[in-house]
Amino acid sequence: MKKQNVQHAPVSSQPSASYDKAVGAIVWKDLRAEFRSWELISSMLVFSLLVILIFNFALELDVKTRQSVTSGVLWATFAFAGTLGLNRSMAIEKDRGCLDGLLLAPIDRSAIYFGKFFSNLAFMLIVEAIVLPVYSFLYNTNLFQPGLILVILLGSIGYTAVGTLLAAMSIQTRTRDILLPILLFPVAFAVLLAAVKASGGILDGAEFSEISFPINLLITYDVVFIAASFMLFDNVVEE
Amino acid sequence: MNHKPLALKILDVVSIVLLVTAAYLAIVVAPTERVMGDVQRVFYFHIGTAWVALVGFVFTAGLSVIYLITKDLKWDRIQVAAIEVSVMFFLITIILGSIWARPAWNTWWTWDPRLTTAAVTELIYIAYFMLRQGIDDPNKRARFGAVYALIGGLSAPITFFAIRLFRTIHPVVIAGSNAAAEGNFSMTGDMLQAFFFALFAFTVIFIDLFWNRIRLGEVQEKVEEMKLKAAW
Amino acid sequence: MLFQETTPDTSGYMIAGFALTFLILAVYVASIYVRNRNLQQDMDMLAEIEEPAVKIKARSTGRAEKKKVKPGTKKGKK
Repeated sequence: MKKQNVQHAPVSSQPSASYDKAVGAIVWKDLRAEFRSWELISSMLVFSLLVILIFNFALELDVKTRQSVTSGVLWATFAFAGTLGLNRSMAIEKDRGCLDGLLLAPIDRSAIYFGKFFSNLAFMLIVEAIVLPVYSFLYNTNLFQPGLILVILLGSIGYTAVGTLLAAMSIQTRTRDILLPILLFPVAFAVLLAAVKASGGILDGAEFSEISFPINLLITYDVVFIAASFMLFDNVVEE
Repeated sequence: MNHKPLALKILDVVSIVLLVTAAYLAIVVAPTERVMGDVQRVFYFHIGTAWVALVGFVFTAGLSVIYLITKDLKWDRIQVAAIEVSVMFFLITIILGSIWARPAWNTWWTWDPRLTTAAVTELIYIAYFMLRQGIDDPNKRARFGAVYALIGGLSAPITFFAIRLFRTIHPVVIAGSNAAAEGNFSMTGDMLQAFFFALFAFTVIFIDLFWNRIRLGEVQEKVEEMKLKAAW
Repeated sequence: MLFQETTPDTSGYMIAGFALTFLILAVYVASIYVRNRNLQQDMDMLAEIEEPAVKIKARSTGRAEKKKVKPGTKKGKK
């Protein structure tokens, strides 16, 4: 059966509306499934807290040192938890046969990408939204600064953008889960670096001119990798 | 099996000659640098290998695009060869950089952004091979490899710019001024000669190894085909 | 005392650098050579296996290309 034919079957007179609908449907499917099982978010959350705990012992932070490493610890935590979420999210699609179903549907392949991207991003942001107050509580610092929220959003977007594409590849290999961090971390290095720098700057109360460069870098990274990933996604899920 | 083309045999010999000559120019002809001493001589090879490796990586990104458009496995073979040879040269670059760093900055390694970027870039392309290893179907392997090489290639310059976030102690020899950089030096005539000759020599050596590696890939493909036929 | 830095003797590092360079290049060239040789051996072995199958095919005319002989049964390995 030629899936290409199915792809180009006329759907509606408003192609963009059906595209958005497709994306929305995928996001909604993922969110609904997740809110029923809490599988992803709970494991990402517990994992994050454990990572923070480990960092606490590994780094033996006194109050002063803690301030300088907070942004690093946060982003390391997000990166690891993010990997967990990305892996599971894609594995669920593959194992339950959802991916094949999605591929048969008369929607643009890139809509699948955006659907997964938004749901992965949602999960990551939910976890981050919980980790922030927990960290603030544990270390008696106030992490709720608008600048920091922005950086976390930008960084998560970039990380998830490329992570979704790479996760789609890695679950199709023999080594599956293990491969994703190997593929993702070197590529995400730039976004993590910029995010850590920007976060650190904001927490230190730096001038905008100092953090404008990392923030610009984050935005650039996000744009480049959303574009690249969505254009390349076709190649990664075709039969 | 195809015999090695005469051109390649000649290139093999030429490469060896150029390598030895470059080494001679670097070790014997070029003057000793005043501040660092003899270790500075590895610089000629350090830059030479860095140059070919980075051009190789950029070339690889182009190959990804060509493969994804044509879906012709020939381009995949070429890409594997390009990445493998570039990874090897870049390894030399990193090692030579480290050897230079030890007497110059009194440390084998520093998380200086340029070195870190180099390490990250090298890891990207090593990951490329790990990705390929986990896939049996040659078309899928080629597709995924191309996608990853492209993503990795895109990320490398961004990572490079991310280094501007940190001050660097890596010497800036070619352009730009950086007050914090240690180990800067300007090159005199004989040094420039050794420098440019090394660049030229490594370009030729790269092409030679690249060509050889492509031929190896062709043999590999043939064997895979035969294995598939035999399995029937 | 004259403040004149003497050029440090870092020739040991230099030798290590060039030695490692040549070593890595040599190892790589060797690896291409060894891989090529192994593949040639594989190819020769596979060609031997294919031979009897080709003969059988030649005997049965007009048949679609289908190998009947299982690999490794007829001829012993080298």
